[in-house]
Amino acid sequence: MTSPVARPLASAPDAPDRSSPLDAPSPQARRPLSTALAQRVPAPEEATAMAIPADKVEMRNISFFYGKFQALHNISLPLYDRRVTAFIGPSGCGKSTLLRILNRIYELYPGQVATGEVYLDGTNILAPGLDLNWLRAKIGMVFQKPTPFPMSIYDNIAFGIRLYERLPRSELDDRVESALRRAALWDEVKDKLRQSGLSLSGGQQQRLCIARAIAVEPEILLLDEPASALDPLSTQRIEELIAELKVDYCIAMVTHNMQQAARSSDYTAFLYLGELVEFDETERIFTHPKVRHTEDYITGRFG
Amino acid sequence: MSAARHGAFGDMAFHTLTFVFALLVLVVLGGVILSLISGALPALEHFGFGFLVAEAWNPVTEKFGALAPIYGTLVTSAIAMLIGIPVAFGVALFITELCPNWLKRPLSTMIELLAAIPSIIYGIWGLFVLAPFVQEHIEPFLIGTLGAVPGIGMLFAGPPLGIGVLTAGFILAVMVLPFISSIMRDVFETVPAVLRESTYALGATTAEVVWQVVLPYARVGVFGGILLGLGRALGETMAVTFVIGNSHHIHVSILQPGTTISAALANEFTEAVGDLYLSSLIALGLILFVITFIVLALAKLLLIRLERQAGG
Amino acid sequence: MQLYARRRLTNWLVIGLSVLATGFGLLWLVLVLSTLLINGIGAIGPSLFTEMTPPPGSSGGLLNAIAGSLAMTAIATLVGTPTGILAGTFLAEYSRGSRFGEVVRFVNDILLSAPSIIIGLFVYEAMVVRMGHFSAWAGAMALAIITVPVVVRTTEDMLRLVPTALREAAAALGAPKWKVIVMVTYRAAAQGMMTGMLLAVARISGETAPLLFTALNNQFWSSDLNGPMANLPVVIFQFAMSPYADWQVLAWGGALLITATILVLNITARVLAAWSSFKQ
Repeated sequence: MTSPVARPLASAPDAPDRSSPLDAPSPQARRPLSTALAQRVPAPEEATAMAIPADKVEMRNISFFYGKFQALHNISLPLYDRRVTAFIGPSGCGKSTLLRILNRIYELYPGQVATGEVYLDGTNILAPGLDLNWLRAKIGMVFQKPTPFPMSIYDNIAFGIRLYERLPRSELDDRVESALRRAALWDEVKDKLRQSGLSLSGGQQQRLCIARAIAVEPEILLLDEPASALDPLSTQRIEELIAELKVDYCIAMVTHNMQQAARSSDYTAFLYLGELVEFDETERIFTHPKVRHTEDYITGRFG
Repeated sequence: MSAARHGAFGDMAFHTLTFVFALLVLVVLGGVILSLISGALPALEHFGFGFLVAEAWNPVTEKFGALAPIYGTLVTSAIAMLIGIPVAFGVALFITELCPNWLKRPLSTMIELLAAIPSIIYGIWGLFVLAPFVQEHIEPFLIGTLGAVPGIGMLFAGPPLGIGVLTAGFILAVMVLPFISSIMRDVFETVPAVLRESTYALGATTAEVVWQVVLPYARVGVFGGILLGLGRALGETMAVTFVIGNSHHIHVSILQPGTTISAALANEFTEAVGDLYLSSLIALGLILFVITFIVLALAKLLLIRLERQAGG
Repeated sequence: MQLYARRRLTNWLVIGLSVLATGFGLLWLVLVLSTLLINGIGAIGPSLFTEMTPPPGSSGGLLNAIAGSLAMTAIATLVGTPTGILAGTFLAEYSRGSRFGEVVRFVNDILLSAPSIIIGLFVYEAMVVRMGHFSAWAGAMALAIITVPVVVRTTEDMLRLVPTALREAAAALGAPKWKVIVMVTYRAAAQGMMTGMLLAVARISGETAPLLFTALNNQFWSSDLNGPMANLPVVIFQFAMSPYADWQVLAWGGALLITATILVLNITARVLAAWSSFKQ
């Protein structure tokens, strides 16, 4: 199955989603999603990659509590290797919460509790005795707002590597270069590796954060609205990057932008008020959603 | 994996380290209280409660009483507050409501520099510059005018000496003014702009906006700031020591010399001979500590309540 | 109309008074600084920095006092700053919502404004009496106790300003909490913490009361930290209160020196703070 090659530049810029579920749906939401599907950025080896997807992560009966408030209700869904799975839904539906369970980052905050199981290659990563460093080396995360560390670009990338390995300088240089290349940032920063990470533009900073995450050679990438704080051109570059990266990683992406989900993901999970309403291949969800509620959201009746 | 074990050990070690040093802060306070009490105990046991109300201070006969220092501390601080609070309020009002934007930063920096000048500088300036000036111009004027008024005339009686309770109180006012004004300014600025704007829109004058809207909204913080200034005034040492005249007598007139607890300590501690003398001085220190602790704790509680109000 | 006129009058009165008040505050700043300059500049010269404090009636300098102050300030900063940083780190990173943290913060703020002469009394009882003699160590300790609350306050405030996302990003890479704090959060707050340290140094540079019964004073040069040591504030105190003109001139000189140092430190701290917020 081949995908058309149209570049998504023709689409209108995506405004950050500040609408509440009660706002009138934006004009973009009403455009036929077939257009968005048609604008999917093709991955280099998509033809061969479309073989039967392998289970990388399986989430079973996940519930989540902020203190007494239950934010997620009994969610079960798979994440397939070398695919992008998008979590969509209106603000407050729990999609970021669900994402943050995967690397147990919520454990930084007392009072936040997850129940259920998450199997990564067969191991339940929610088990109490689990080595969190091992987990976070396998799972990388990129946040909504670019968060470069207050150090040089080189040190930003090397930070994660240095946590786990003692490498001679030349090897470290290679790893840093390779991470920056894979994040499509190398050419822009190769002459200024010693400059502060904060001196880069917003889009570059976000690619720096992606490079930083992939430098430790994870198997899974969690992207929490990676482009929502960026301008449209940077957003496009990030989406292209995601298409390239999915060849090597299992990617879970939270997005409030349905066009982006349609363009960039292979599978989509639609969440509403902490419940999984529907999970399916992206093309099927956006053309023939099984649940009425999903259809309402996708066609912009709310959200 | 060894990395995890490293991490876990490092985490526990660092957590314990920071905990211990945080505990140290409490230990210091505990130490201060304990050492003051233990040092003051001999004098307190010897004189009993009479210590607080006796005016006598005689190293020779070993009769000591805290009344004069306590009185001086309270009166100088009261003068400092009477002068300092309205001035601080005026400064805060000017900076927040009247001042053009380009002037705000430099002006507030300059007022804050007043706070950076150490106490001893105010002291020698007070002794060599202010006191003679007060002696030659201010005090004769006060004696001539207010001194003749029946009733309050006694407050302004006596030969003009320059040094004394009034001068000390005045310098204290200048010293606490930046603290009070800075807190007032911060608190005024938390008043939502919409509130002020809507009051202006109704046609209110600046004075009315501040007096009837800003101040009531900010009153908790303002009061906290005042208490903080009071706490500082009570404990100020060097500036007061230079100009208060160091007399262990209570005079009705504020133009006369007196002493404060901190001035007495600064002047007499190193030359005190005799355990009872020393212990009496430490007892003075204990009394000062108790007074300032109460005032500062109250100030802190008010400011905490203000934060909660602003946050919630 | 009468009401309106009265309101306008009140307004002008209040405005006028507030302008006067501001002028009043500025006036004293100018007066103090200018008399300091006028009276002190005469004493500034090479001899101030090369000769020792003289006996009454002779000329001399303040070398031993300057050296003593530098030494005690340095020790106090070396001891007080790490203590304050670690305690402030605890408050910012490990004590969210805990009772213990609230109590420490409360006590710290009280110590911040407590009379420094009481601190001097405490160190007198704890160190001088126990050691049997006055010492520069005791003086430095008293100054350190004054430094700590300032550093705790600024450290906690600066650390709290660091965005949570930055900490999460480091944790998501697998860094243990202490590495997140030391390698990322401290670096992000570094400039603010430096400002805090400068302000603390400025504060203790002028403190006299805590040194009165700890380090005492020393007429001669001494490099023995275990005995009384000369220091600028106490020398100024002694010389200014004396009837000797020579001593008084030196007192003014020393006062000018201290004030200039403090102003420079304060201005540097402010420039640093403005520069770091400008960079972001």
